[in-house]
Amino acid sequence: MHKRWAILALAAILSPLGALFFGAADLSPNELYQCVVQQCETPVNHLIFWQIRAPRVLVGFLVGAGLAVAGATLQNITRNGLADPYLFGVMSGAGLGASIATLLFDSKFAESLGLMAILPQLSFSIALPMAAFLGALFAVFLVQILASKTFGGKTEHMLLAGVAVSFLLSAISHFILFLGEPFAANKVIFWMMGSLARVEAWYAWVMLPVVTISVLTLLLFGRHMDALLLGDENAKTLGVHVTQLRILCLAICAALTACIVSYCGGIGFVGLMIPHLVRVLFGATSKVLIIGCVLLGGCFMVWVDVLARVALANQEIPIGIITAAIGSVFFLMIMSQRTR
Amino acid sequence: MPAAGAKCVYLLCYLACNILGVEIDDYCIAYETKCFGGPSPMIHKKKLVAKDLCLSIDKFSILSDVNLSLDAGKVMGILGPNGAGKTSLLKMLSGQRDSHGQVSWHDQSLSDYTTVGLAQQIAVVNQLNDTVFALNLQQIVRMGLLPHKSLLSKHTSEDEQQIADAIARVGLTDKSLQSFHSMSGGEQQRGLIARALVQKAALIILDEPVNHLDVYYQHQVLGLLRSLAHKLNITVVMSLHDLNLAANYCDHLCLLDKGRIVAQGDASQVLTATRLQQVFALPCHIRRDPITAAFRVDFYSPEEIETTTNLAPQQSQHA
Repeated sequence: MHKRWAILALAAILSPLGALFFGAADLSPNELYQCVVQQCETPVNHLIFWQIRAPRVLVGFLVGAGLAVAGATLQNITRNGLADPYLFGVMSGAGLGASIATLLFDSKFAESLGLMAILPQLSFSIALPMAAFLGALFAVFLVQILASKTFGGKTEHMLLAGVAVSFLLSAISHFILFLGEPFAANKVIFWMMGSLARVEAWYAWVMLPVVTISVLTLLLFGRHMDALLLGDENAKTLGVHVTQLRILCLAICAALTACIVSYCGGIGFVGLMIPHLVRVLFGATSKVLIIGCVLLGGCFMVWVDVLARVALANQEIPIGIITAAIGSVFFLMIMSQRTR
Repeated sequence: MPAAGAKCVYLLCYLACNILGVEIDDYCIAYETKCFGGPSPMIHKKKLVAKDLCLSIDKFSILSDVNLSLDAGKVMGILGPNGAGKTSLLKMLSGQRDSHGQVSWHDQSLSDYTTVGLAQQIAVVNQLNDTVFALNLQQIVRMGLLPHKSLLSKHTSEDEQQIADAIARVGLTDKSLQSFHSMSGGEQQRGLIARALVQKAALIILDEPVNHLDVYYQHQVLGLLRSLAHKLNITVVMSLHDLNLAANYCDHLCLLDKGRIVAQGDASQVLTATRLQQVFALPCHIRRDPITAAFRVDFYSPEEIETTTNLAPQQSQHA
């Protein structure tokens, strides 16, 4: 077990470093080394390294870690191994919030609503994740209500409500984008598939604290989340405030997903795959699961992003396509294992 | 809503204490158990009292007018046919289900306890349900420590020792790293009892604890529960189907039928042939075992009675 952890930790350190070597521009290892240790040789190299590659790798790691942790949390609190921010509606909720924000900040539309007086004072870069967070919270709230009203409060059935909410909200957000913009198709594709192509350095400074605080909070409540695995009733007899804990965890998932979706679009299935792998490799208790998800999810996303960058010459594949392709095969594997 | 306000304030304080690692009053019982191997004589008089419990779901009455009381350190068996309300009663006694009427423990109503305070006092072993992900026995048993740990505190080697001891007590030491859902029903049941032991509660409530166990472990587990009760002054309340086991291992029996208590007291008071015949709708015969002098209840199917000519009606009465 210690050996596995050591390998994973090493991979988590080496993967981002390794990923720096890949990209459209040809930077030699020597040039990269100089950029890291001293000064880049040319201003162009400096720009490529510090404005494009390094932020992209860092954001990729954070996106993978965040999504995997959100997935693991959702799986543990709903006791359903198929839960994932994408299938649970959180991601489409965040997408809806982000779409609305994008539309409002599109000056022509805001002018027609007479919002121009307020909006310029708000910074778009802050408003976007906030709107996504509100959207994600709305989705979580909707799922909770639907699950308790329609499915008799059975936690195991929350996922069904999630799938329904997911489709509903993404339909709405795509419609909004379609109405609001002449060239909406581009944006819709971005929200649907997700991409790290537009990553900028400051994204990392928004994501880093959100992911760190979320992970630390979840680790703090790890033992309580474990108790939830025995069922709500049993958790309650162990002194867990079941409802409050579930709301806290859902809110954390909403925050994690929102800050990722608003900058990188909807990247699916990471939250489904990584927790499963971690469970098999390291164990199912929440603390172990969360730490494992941060490391493995980060590594996974960094390399998927490398694949997205280099698979086609002079073009980038939206990262969501790759994760969805890997994820759906994985999904089928889990299902066949379960029915066997 | 002053009560709600007070609860909020308490919760905030509790959270603050928890984060700072400060122990609050509720923890004292746990410490007494930890330090002296059982609640101290000071809290000896602790009693479980239920007053006028009623429960109805969708206008169907599940329980009505249930009154009972139990001294600390005693074992109570709740008996009755299927659907008599045993599980509902246990849920009310453990505070898992809100009730009309009042349940008090240690002269304090269960509703006045915090969730954590209740978990430090009462351990519950429910009927088995599936665990989803592959947790091993040790991890399940470790959960018993949850009510005694603040958010930031770590498991000590002493805790691990306690976990190992509890697992050894239920005879599962060699399986402590085995995945819980690959264990047999009986092993899982014993694992959950080990968790209740680690929880160091003064009251343990079990829903049909010997359901999945073979004869050896039925006696083993009930014997363990009885010795816990008598030696460590822990109170045990459980529902049982086997009247013979109940008669042998419980200090106090409570017979339920259609949501009402038909009789309570010791075995000789509760287990009479006419009463059992009424409740279970089967003819029965009660005797003392010639070797152990223990209570024996034998039920017969009506056909058996018809063909057995030598069983005179007066013999089937209470011996």
